[in-house]
Amino acid sequence: MPNSSEKTFHALNFIKNLKSDLRVVSIISMVVFLTVWEAVVRVGFVTPLFLPAPSMVLEDGIRLYERGEIWLHVSASARRVLIGFALAGSIAVPLGILLGASKFLKAIADPLLSILRPLPSMAWIPLSLLWLGITETQKYSIVFMGSFAPTVLYTIEATRSIDPVLIRAALNLGASRMSLMREVILPGALQPIISGLKVMLGIAWTTVISAELVAADKGLGYLIMHGREFFRTEQVLLGMALISMTVMLIDIAFRSVEKKITPWTRG
Amino acid sequence: MAIPVIEIKKLTKIFETQKENVTALKNVDLTINKEEFVVLVGASGCGKTTLINTIAGFEKPTSGEVLLHGEPVTRIDPRCGMVFQQYALFDWKTVINNVDFGLKMKGMKFKERREIAQQYIDMVRLQGFENVYPAQLSGGMKQRVSLARALANNPEIMLLDEPFAALDAMTRQVLQEELIRIYRESQKTILFITHSIDEALLLSTRIAVMTSRPGSIKQFLDNDLPWPRDAAVQLLPRYLELKSAVWGTVQEEVMKTAGLLK
Ligand SMILES: Nc1ncnc2c1ncn2[C@@H]1O[C@H](COP(=O)(O)OP(=O)(O)OP(=O)(O)O)[C@@H](O)[C@H]1O
Ligand SMILES: [Mg+2]
Repeated sequence: MPNSSEKTFHALNFIKNLKSDLRVVSIISMVVFLTVWEAVVRVGFVTPLFLPAPSMVLEDGIRLYERGEIWLHVSASARRVLIGFALAGSIAVPLGILLGASKFLKAIADPLLSILRPLPSMAWIPLSLLWLGITETQKYSIVFMGSFAPTVLYTIEATRSIDPVLIRAALNLGASRMSLMREVILPGALQPIISGLKVMLGIAWTTVISAELVAADKGLGYLIMHGREFFRTEQVLLGMALISMTVMLIDIAFRSVEKKITPWTRG
Repeated sequence: MAIPVIEIKKLTKIFETQKENVTALKNVDLTINKEEFVVLVGASGCGKTTLINTIAGFEKPTSGEVLLHGEPVTRIDPRCGMVFQQYALFDWKTVINNVDFGLKMKGMKFKERREIAQQYIDMVRLQGFENVYPAQLSGGMKQRVSLARALANNPEIMLLDEPFAALDAMTRQVLQEELIRIYRESQKTILFITHSIDEALLLSTRIAVMTSRPGSIKQFLDNDLPWPRDAAVQLLPRYLELKSAVWGTVQEEVMKTAGLLK
């Protein structure tokens, strides 16, 4: 007669199998999607100029890869995102923590923040071109302006989300204002701040692509725009696919860093 | 001579929410003397946590006052060590870092405070879990960390809000005995909240029964049961006498809360 722990064991195994089964389902769905797409183009339902087949996009990718251009465009965009985002984050996060901890400082910053927040990064492009020209600095500034205000606001939220009972506990155990900040508020806000930064990084990518679509001589946004101008739709799709893949890779990297910084969170 | 440590005078606490004003406490009068072990019992929602929070300085009285050694409580006072009903552990600190937090705040050297923290971790039977994060502990284990954290800080006054509620009977008994030992060996003044009348009789020198919400003190009972309060105490006629006295009052108030009695 199977005892209950054996039953749980079977149940766990079942779930584990189910998970790998689900992965197989995902792969099959991907393959079916690409095959149907390929077939629709090959059979001639749509012209490749309107929608090229996946194999054509891949071919174009291999051609650009052999000329070393893929890395050129990916690294150009990635560098702009990372520099602009690092600048914005290194100012916005400390500022957000301060504003989250002090009602007085928040009252000072509130009017400016509420003006900045609704402005999409696109709205900054004309002004940045006027001030900085078509330069790298101009790209950084677009990423900066696009991610700064949301990061500040998100960090304020994260700082305020700390359970007030933990602040009570710390003060009850004799914490000073300084130690309260260092031992409770900072580490308590860290995890939501990091998840916020992950979202902001995604936003930073959209800002850099929009800046490159308007004015640039390299980068993934440029690749797409260039493809469109020369009626090379496969290059447009290649650029889009590269954006997806790069963002996915960065997300994976970010997640592993996150686990190292906040080891107390489970799963 | 009895020296008053905590004096609560005509304390009323009203919570103002968008929907309505909740009167949690109404005209509470309670004096706790040095080295008393007062256990507060009362129906769920009658205002016990609110009362203890006001003593700790977490909540401000709406009217009336709370005095600590004759001085009004105006801020969170580390002289009152609190064991929270909701544990209130720091998720980003390991068990031992939670337990030695108060000592660290006092500026104690690492080695010294680790030693003391280890003592209390052993006392609450959590050896082996020193370097584990709270997210990996069960409710009862978290509750024991919370208790060890308050005790390690060695406060003069201890406020315990249902500190053994999540424990199994065996662990509870062990920790009750440890708490009694600490109380008998130190000169601590203790206010302890529980739903268990047996626990109240086992631990207290005095029992205060609260009315249903708005809470005030309905009855005081001096607990003159002899020490040590082991299992044999529960067989004394006096034990049953006290128990039925407390039970009668509590039952009346619980039924009022349930709307069965007016
Ligand atoms: N911050 C708050 N805002 C509004 N109402 C509150 C607040 N805290 C407590 N109350 C109300 O005050 C009353 C007393 O709550 P309290 O937590 O003190 O009860 P309790 O006696 O500790 O109950 P339990 O035994 O279930 O822990 C309840 O009706 C509760 O809804
Ligand atoms: Mg309570």
